[in-house]
Amino acid sequence: MEAAPDISILRLLAAFGLLIVPLALSFFLRLGFVRQLFISAGRMTGQLFLMGILLVYLFRWDNPWLNVAWVIVMMFFACFSAMVNSKLSFRHFFLPVFLAYFVGTGLILLFFNKVIVNYENIFTARLVVVVGGMLLGNSLNSTIIGISHYYEAIRKENKRYLYLLSLGANQQEALLPFFREALRAAMRPFIANMATMGIVSLPGMMTGQMLGGADPETAIKYQIAIVLAIFTALTISVALSIFFTSNRAFDDYGILKGSLFRR
Amino acid sequence: MIKLDNVTLSFGDQQLFERLSVEVPAGGRLLISGESGSGKTTLLRMLLGFVLPDRGMVYVDGEQLQVDNVWRLRRKMAYVSQEMQIGKGRVESFIKEIFRFKNNRRIEYQRDKVIALLEDFQLGSGTLDKDLEDLSGGELQRVAIIVTLLLNRQIYLLDEVTSALDQQLKEMIVNYFTNLDDKTLIISSHDKIWHDQGFPTIHLGNNGSST
Repeated sequence: MEAAPDISILRLLAAFGLLIVPLALSFFLRLGFVRQLFISAGRMTGQLFLMGILLVYLFRWDNPWLNVAWVIVMMFFACFSAMVNSKLSFRHFFLPVFLAYFVGTGLILLFFNKVIVNYENIFTARLVVVVGGMLLGNSLNSTIIGISHYYEAIRKENKRYLYLLSLGANQQEALLPFFREALRAAMRPFIANMATMGIVSLPGMMTGQMLGGADPETAIKYQIAIVLAIFTALTISVALSIFFTSNRAFDDYGILKGSLFRR
Repeated sequence: MIKLDNVTLSFGDQQLFERLSVEVPAGGRLLISGESGSGKTTLLRMLLGFVLPDRGMVYVDGEQLQVDNVWRLRRKMAYVSQEMQIGKGRVESFIKEIFRFKNNRRIEYQRDKVIALLEDFQLGSGTLDKDLEDLSGGELQRVAIIVTLLLNRQIYLLDEVTSALDQQLKEMIVNYFTNLDDKTLIISSHDKIWHDQGFPTIHLGNNGSST
């Protein structure tokens, strides 16, 4: 199969032309999106072009250290944007959540590159940067759903937590139901999503590979492997981020600290 | 013995207790009355170490409540409150889980004892198979009371436990607890039925408190 033809700048502008429809709707129905839509589409374009330029060099130099450093930078941004979208305080959570991402996605990335793909150089840009980006991007949402769910449930259902303590539970025992429910909340959407994959939607990575000229059979195998890898990475990241934060989140009396949440 | 010694507590600019002192001997009874918002629940929570006083000392079972004994002292108390948040899942699984806590393992889970208590409190044995989320407030409260009875604690902290129940159940529960002679009972309520028992009473006012 041949690779997809390039898209000329002029034709790419036609893609922007599509925006007329949502813009018109937003304008006439006063959805209040017009400004935000311009900013978002502009950012998307700029960021992707920058990413494109960066990728050209990362691929050209293909330096393992540089590749790994770039993934760590991506993790940093992933963590940052996840925290912005939650109610949790940066000071308490940034470092542990970052560490959880680092261990969770890092381990799975190594496993993917070494065991599944079995490429000679597992730190090559193609694998580290691209697969790493996939893992991060897709585990981000669930991780933050999980950790927010955990702390918000303990705050909202504080009586339940205290009741368990009063029944003789030690702290771990009283937190276990919340941990269970947080993991469920984080994993459930992905599990549901897996069941419809390929029927309702063609996943992005596969689409990309096939457009790039890959054999559909290869593309499918990659897609299956990456979906399983994402799922496991997010499960590890959620569990670890709760594990890393839980100890310092309570005072000596077992009471949740109020300073965990942003005001 | 339970004792509050010169306890002062405020939340923000609201002063709940000012130099509040009260003592209940082991096996004694204390009724806490006062309007909602006067700090009845907070007082009970303070005994459990869930709320710490700004000043003053709290004694439970003769020991001053501190970081190093709070976890042990909590195990001498049983707390049942007005609005229970118990959780999800089958009633029996929930009760069994409590008996699996490390601190409770020495107490054996006896199904027939549970069923007998359920019947005492006018809940059928079928309650065990129900989902916690399907129980009414009054039913949840009674399940919670049964759990504390199974754990056989020394000190009972009962926070408005009868307010959601009908007259007949109220009487039943009041009788049940007043017959537990060797237990210490600390009851917060504005139910007349508790006030008719002639227990020592502390009244919490909106500004400070008086006995």
